[in-house]
Amino acid sequence: MTPLYEFGAFGDTGALVAAVCIGIAFGWCLERAGMGSARKLAAQFYLTDLTVFKVMFSAVVTAMLGAFWLGRLGVLDLSRVYVPETFLAPQLVGGLVFGAGFVIGGLCPGTSCVAAATGRIDGIVLMLGMFLGVLGTGLAFAPLRHFYDSTPRGTFTLPALLHLPYGGVVLAVVVMALAGFRGAEWIERRRSAEGAGA
Amino acid sequence: MSGWRNASAATRLAVAAGILGVLAPFAGSPYLSAHARVDVDELSRIVQREEDHVAPLELARWIKDRREGLRVVDLRSDSEFVEYHLPTAERVPVDSLAHASFRRGDVIVLYSEGGGHAAQGWVFLRAIGYPHVYVLRDGLYGWLDDVMNASVPENATPAQRAAFEQAAELSRYFGGQPSVGPPRLPGSAVPALPKGGAAPGESGNAAVKRLKKRSC
Amino acid sequence: MRPQRPYSNPYLAGVSLGLVLLAAYVVMGRGLGASGAFASSAAGLTAAISPPRADSSAYLAGYLQADGGPWRNWLLWEIAGVLVGGFLSAWLAGRLRVETERGPRISDGTRLAAALAGGVLMGVGAVFARGCTSGQALTGGALLSVGSWGFMLMAFAGAYLVAPLVRRAWT
Repeated sequence: MTPLYEFGAFGDTGALVAAVCIGIAFGWCLERAGMGSARKLAAQFYLTDLTVFKVMFSAVVTAMLGAFWLGRLGVLDLSRVYVPETFLAPQLVGGLVFGAGFVIGGLCPGTSCVAAATGRIDGIVLMLGMFLGVLGTGLAFAPLRHFYDSTPRGTFTLPALLHLPYGGVVLAVVVMALAGFRGAEWIERRRSAEGAGA
Repeated sequence: MSGWRNASAATRLAVAAGILGVLAPFAGSPYLSAHARVDVDELSRIVQREEDHVAPLELARWIKDRREGLRVVDLRSDSEFVEYHLPTAERVPVDSLAHASFRRGDVIVLYSEGGGHAAQGWVFLRAIGYPHVYVLRDGLYGWLDDVMNASVPENATPAQRAAFEQAAELSRYFGGQPSVGPPRLPGSAVPALPKGGAAPGESGNAAVKRLKKRSC
Repeated sequence: MRPQRPYSNPYLAGVSLGLVLLAAYVVMGRGLGASGAFASSAAGLTAAISPPRADSSAYLAGYLQADGGPWRNWLLWEIAGVLVGGFLSAWLAGRLRVETERGPRISDGTRLAAALAGGVLMGVGAVFARGCTSGQALTGGALLSVGSWGFMLMAFAGAYLVAPLVRRAWT
């Protein structure tokens, strides 16, 4: 029965060993996809290279289908997988600020680590900026706390929001992602045709 | 079919995702608790052998010894829990029992007022695969009678006396009032509630009185 | 020097990434993340320099009070792995090089200033969102969390809104 850690298969030190192993695989996949390159990531927002979208959504669809089916087959106890709690307003505003920072900096926190590890100076500087941003917000937290804790919804999932069965939402996400991939390919083809024509 | 053989890896993955996605709405809930299976024979044998219970004094010893992985679970309402609960107990409503954060190896002891909800909760937790689940015998009343107000008749045998001495020690540890003589009348005991016990400002006496009243 | 190999097919890389995320669910009962590592080390460092300053912030104190303290934070160790994994992958593919990646129309200095500013903004945003592209968009997205999908949509919206203003930096 899994999650292994939740069912006591190993302790806290084992968890840190697992963290390093999973991290290595995570960093490997990001680098292979080209996500350690700021120009490649920024190109997403000028619609010349939609790698970010393709990688992110194939990952989300894969993990979503895997979690759903392993749960359904009784291999994974889905109720013991931690779902990040929802705090609607701060997450929406945080997302907007985060997105602005993403296109200005060209990398996100995880990919900046990959960029830094592969020799990119901009990756190292972005990691420093990220650190300062978190530190500054943490030190100035008292007046921000009210907003930080506002609109709590607890563990709140799309099936609960839409009053749909879990499997139905899974299908909807798969359909949206596959349609999105088609669209992404179409956009990239058009862009490269324009580029060739110019 | 040659189309499939010639398809790129990405196309094959897309087809696989499509198939798994289309089947998903017909597969039902992915949560384990929705598909729990019960081996009625096994569970009924356990109940027959009374291996599903833990006596209040035994539990008292577990709590005192800080037994590893012990989870004392109070299934009563929030206000009842605030009024009085067993030391180290945590409140888990029955309807979220299946999603509580227990570990596989935990020793889970359930109690409610008399034991009805606890016995039902025992079946739920066994059904979703927890191996070490117990019901506190006689529920909260068992705890109050056997631990907090442990007593022994004056004309007890030496063996009974010896057992009482052990019980009395546990009782005092948890702030109870062990006594010799006829058992006290319900509600006359004043268990000094251990930390986290009664609501501030309310005497343990009043709390117990109210509890006893409800049981009638 | 080894020849530089092209990047993998994005769909195959994405599916591999999804399998890593699934492995995190199955092994740990939690997902991936990145910003939590920054938060925990910020808390640890603040506590090392000025304990009262760290304790006075409820946000940083949360990381200090976690089991094992801020330096045994799960995401911190996971990010250490990310650094190793990213390095190994780039090394084997001949993609290691010390450089500042920038658009053709700006200087290295401008690029680094933008990276710093972008990092600070993402740091602020990630605190309020309780995670970033890894912890919210990927992890919570695949578990169908409403807040994670909200974050993901708003992050893309924010990036597309600001993109025309910083076009000079990238094209």
